[in-house]
Amino acid sequence: MELLAKTRWMPVPQRFGAVMWLSFLMATAATGVFFSILDPDDLRYCVPFPEVSRMAAYTIGFFLFWLLTAASGVFAVMFTYPPNPDETPRKHG
Amino acid sequence: MDDTSTAPKATTTAKTTAAPTVEQSLYEKRQKIYPREVHGTFAALRVTAVSVLLGLFYGVCWLRWDGHQAVLFDLPARKFYVFGLTFWPQDFLLLTLLMLLAALSLFFFTALAGRLWCGYACPQTVWTEVFLWMERKIEGNRQQQMKLDKAPWSARKLRIKATKQFAWIAFSLWTGFTFVAYFTPATDLLAKTAALSLGPWETFWMLFYGFATYGNAGFMREQVCKYMCPYARFQSAMFDKDTLIVSYDEARGEPRGSRRQGVDPREAGLGDCINCTMCVQVCPTGIDIRDGLQYECIGCSACIDACDDVMERMNYPKGLIRYTTEHALEGKPTRIVRARTIIYSVLLLGVASLFFYLLGSRAPLGLDIMRDRNQLYRERGGLIENVYMLKVLNLRDAERAFEITAAGIEGMLIDGPGEPVRVAGGDVAEVPVVLRASEAELPERSTPVTFTLRAADDPTVSVTEGAKFLGPGR
Repeated sequence: MELLAKTRWMPVPQRFGAVMWLSFLMATAATGVFFSILDPDDLRYCVPFPEVSRMAAYTIGFFLFWLLTAASGVFAVMFTYPPNPDETPRKHG
Repeated sequence: MDDTSTAPKATTTAKTTAAPTVEQSLYEKRQKIYPREVHGTFAALRVTAVSVLLGLFYGVCWLRWDGHQAVLFDLPARKFYVFGLTFWPQDFLLLTLLMLLAALSLFFFTALAGRLWCGYACPQTVWTEVFLWMERKIEGNRQQQMKLDKAPWSARKLRIKATKQFAWIAFSLWTGFTFVAYFTPATDLLAKTAALSLGPWETFWMLFYGFATYGNAGFMREQVCKYMCPYARFQSAMFDKDTLIVSYDEARGEPRGSRRQGVDPREAGLGDCINCTMCVQVCPTGIDIRDGLQYECIGCSACIDACDDVMERMNYPKGLIRYTTEHALEGKPTRIVRARTIIYSVLLLGVASLFFYLLGSRAPLGLDIMRDRNQLYRERGGLIENVYMLKVLNLRDAERAFEITAAGIEGMLIDGPGEPVRVAGGDVAEVPVVLRASEAELPERSTPVTFTLRAADDPTVSVTEGAKFLGPGR
């Protein structure tokens, strides 16, 4: 928290919101692409749960994509912080 | 958390509006913006755009076409109906091109005319406009709204606020219903809703979309544009000095100041701006356009209407705030044809041509080939046998018969349905087919073969797909 006060980055809830919102958009696009190419009914033979309906498969697929894109976003945000709390970001201009 | 450090500079301009209510919102301590109602040319244009777009959204789901809903995205059946056209998953490229076309149009119009999309067509603008209209009908005009919010809670305030919430929530639920009606046929959905027997998906999406409408148009409003919209962040990349923007003519307006009607501003040492702050009061994002081009400006041109109205009453020429370009403000000519617009329009034309070409040349049939999963091949009567499952897609609306042939190996025998396969309109038939070939003709473990599907009534309508014929190899 001290770090935040020093560096003027967005507060945690807002960074969380930004990651979740943008990863939601990306997950929507990814779900669209994935399921236009693959029919969940054809995947039935490859997964251990054969009783899943198409709508359920779309939903599970969407949430998995969201998890993936959100994870990427969280790491990206985390990696924009200096690993050493004493370091402040370099000033530009 | 240090809130003041993150507050953008827009709040400094909001001081002129002096709205007293500070509410804690998602992004910052935000002063509620009470945009004043505005009348004029551009307001009329926006009301027209809002009516047409919302009319389409709420109306189109009730249209019928050839016995089915005119526009229906049937996800469980993997078929999209758009009036006379039926789209299948294999038309995915068309959808991609359509998205590309939409993005390029946005870039093109942004380069040419700035944030037209934001001001007139964005769902955020459109629904906010409706919510503002309801708020105005129920709570009264800007002053009455501000007074009501400042007043202590009373029976009257409770009644007014409850009425507004009721109207907002009812409208949001109807919006959620309409959204779902593009995925579940609207008439079925209405019957299910009336019988309170909606499925879990329908219920979830109806409430989700309804809640999003209520939250975004009722409360978030300009914050969506300022903080959440990706387009708002990158639209400046499409701008140049020839892009149409809403701008205040500083040279003509300054020095601003109040004066009595009939006083010649030049004699009083004043510009044309009477500093009435009407442009600030009508702004839905709470900025002062006189501070110059700001990223919060969604180009709604409410300030143009407001200022023109004042100029008319003052007997000054209109257009102190107007649609113009940076070049025009500097007294230079504005070029519409320039590298940026040429590149965007060439790309736009290219993608549009490709889209319509592909749309026009879609084959009205499709063939998917799957190999039998249980065995690679089997030997019977001295011949090698491969079993396939063929999915025959009739992409037309009417029933059609198809013939299946195979080629690729000398002397190959095909054991299929024997007669043409009849497939109902927009349906898929699964047809098992066995191919037999002599081992002498199979030099490799895997030999390519092709299946051809041909309409029985029109031999020119055909599609050929490849598959593999597996054998023991030598």
